[in-house]
Amino acid sequence: MAAQVTALGMPLLVCADLRKTFNAGLAGARPALNGVDLALNRGDFVVIIGSNGAGKSTLLNTIAGAIEPDGGSISLDGQDITRLAAHRRAGMISRVFQDPMIGTAAAMTIEENLALAEQRGQRRGFARHLDGAKRDRYRALLAGLALGMEDRLSTPVAQLSGGQRQALSLIMASLSRPSLLLLDEHTAALDPRTADLIMATTLRIVAEQSLTTLMVTHNMRQAIETGNRLVMMDAGRIRDDIGGTEKARLTPADLVEKFRIENDRMLLGT
Amino acid sequence: MDVIHAYLNLVPVTLSQSLIYSFLVLGIMIPFRLLSFPDLTSEGAFPLGGCVCATLLLAGYPPLFATVVAMLAGVGAGAATALVHLRFRINSLLAGILVFTALYSVNMRVLGRSNIALFNTDNIFMQINPAILTDVRLQVATFAVLIVVALVALRWYLATQAGAALRVIGINPELAPSLGISIWTYTIVGLGVASGLTALGGALIVQLQGYADVGMGTGILINGLASLVIGETITGRQTVTRQLLAPVVGAVVYYQLVSLALSLGLQPSDLKVVTAGFVLVTLGLPMLRGRSTMRETMRA
Repeated sequence: MAAQVTALGMPLLVCADLRKTFNAGLAGARPALNGVDLALNRGDFVVIIGSNGAGKSTLLNTIAGAIEPDGGSISLDGQDITRLAAHRRAGMISRVFQDPMIGTAAAMTIEENLALAEQRGQRRGFARHLDGAKRDRYRALLAGLALGMEDRLSTPVAQLSGGQRQALSLIMASLSRPSLLLLDEHTAALDPRTADLIMATTLRIVAEQSLTTLMVTHNMRQAIETGNRLVMMDAGRIRDDIGGTEKARLTPADLVEKFRIENDRMLLGT
Repeated sequence: MDVIHAYLNLVPVTLSQSLIYSFLVLGIMIPFRLLSFPDLTSEGAFPLGGCVCATLLLAGYPPLFATVVAMLAGVGAGAATALVHLRFRINSLLAGILVFTALYSVNMRVLGRSNIALFNTDNIFMQINPAILTDVRLQVATFAVLIVVALVALRWYLATQAGAALRVIGINPELAPSLGISIWTYTIVGLGVASGLTALGGALIVQLQGYADVGMGTGILINGLASLVIGETITGRQTVTRQLLAPVVGAVVYYQLVSLALSLGLQPSDLKVVTAGFVLVTLGLPMLRGRSTMRETMRA
């Protein structure tokens, strides 16, 4: 009992002194992560902004396990996951990619994709992949999106629009109730209207499941309107971490001002 | 008229052989189509199955045992190609070439010499029913049952949770780890099963024909690809079932075409260039027409 209480009091995710340099040793190689310290509490919705090359995506990829850091450590729920293979973290961490093509298996149907996602982190055996009960559940789930996918369960995902695919990968990412949700500029490849729809759906799902979320964005409005903390990255480091009332009071003008102070390059990057 | 007559006489024999070659074509289809992994191991796994089976039969082991061991040897060969690719990050084509080149020496060692005849040895068909070896219609029926069993098993597997995970590896390898699917596990399983089927084909053909030859794999991959392409043209690839039927339909049609070409006077030694040309044309034609998205896995 006591142990449980302590676990709940600890941050969910702790990144300590994460370092990564691509093509180390080559001329011009500079660190993508240059000592990143970041802790997320349970229920946090942290938004990361920063110019191109600031290390945002590298940080997300390192947390997901797609990139192995040169140094530092990552722990989730008190467990050291620094060297854990990406597919072994997937039960705890799920992600939505920027490219809707990556987040879904195009040649498989909507229901097959959902069934695959529901199995995240579980042993895959010789039980049937799909059954009537699952189909009914998925239909209800998709009806909530109001994108018309609930009537097309057996349609290959390749036939869906980018927005539909991204909505589907969002549902897929949340289906197995992960401890941590990673969103990597997941609305950047969509038109403004669809981007707003996906963002609204994201907020609804995050709130419903009280998911701890880490979102990378280039969109200033999203950065201001979403989340309870705003983290600013530059040159592989965290430059600013704004939370609480300061985050709530933040205006676009403040953000532009901060950017200018922090680094001129950031403006050029956005 | 004589030519047509000669061909028609060969139809049943060719049909019976092509059903056994279906196992090989299935073994080629699985990596190429389900895993998007252009795997060349079959060039070595096919004779491996034949050589292992022949050697065990000559040593007096029971035919079923010899056939199963031959199949397992093939599973090992496929797993070896997968490991070379995964562990050393060696290009999939090169990994296959490495393994089948090494297998040539292995096959030579296993068989003890370059070819061997199986006189007076028991074989799996004699155990099922000795008439199989002489009655072509019975042969066709037996092999058809065997291939249907293999197809049903594969269809069942691909509808399971594990089978769906295997398909994701081929469709979207970037997505797979984020769904908790191990690229390593399913690449090894997929290539292992594929080469196991190929080796089973080798073991069955050796027992049907009564001899084994270390060179029996040469050019077999291109024959298999040609069969696969023909089969897919007929069945399509839209569903898993169609994709599974393509190798069998393709093998049956391809070997009839070969038999016809030989009846018309084509030199057997010229067959390989004709087949290679055929595969080139079928794979290259969509490119010339600008439909470059088709058959991307074979061209890559």
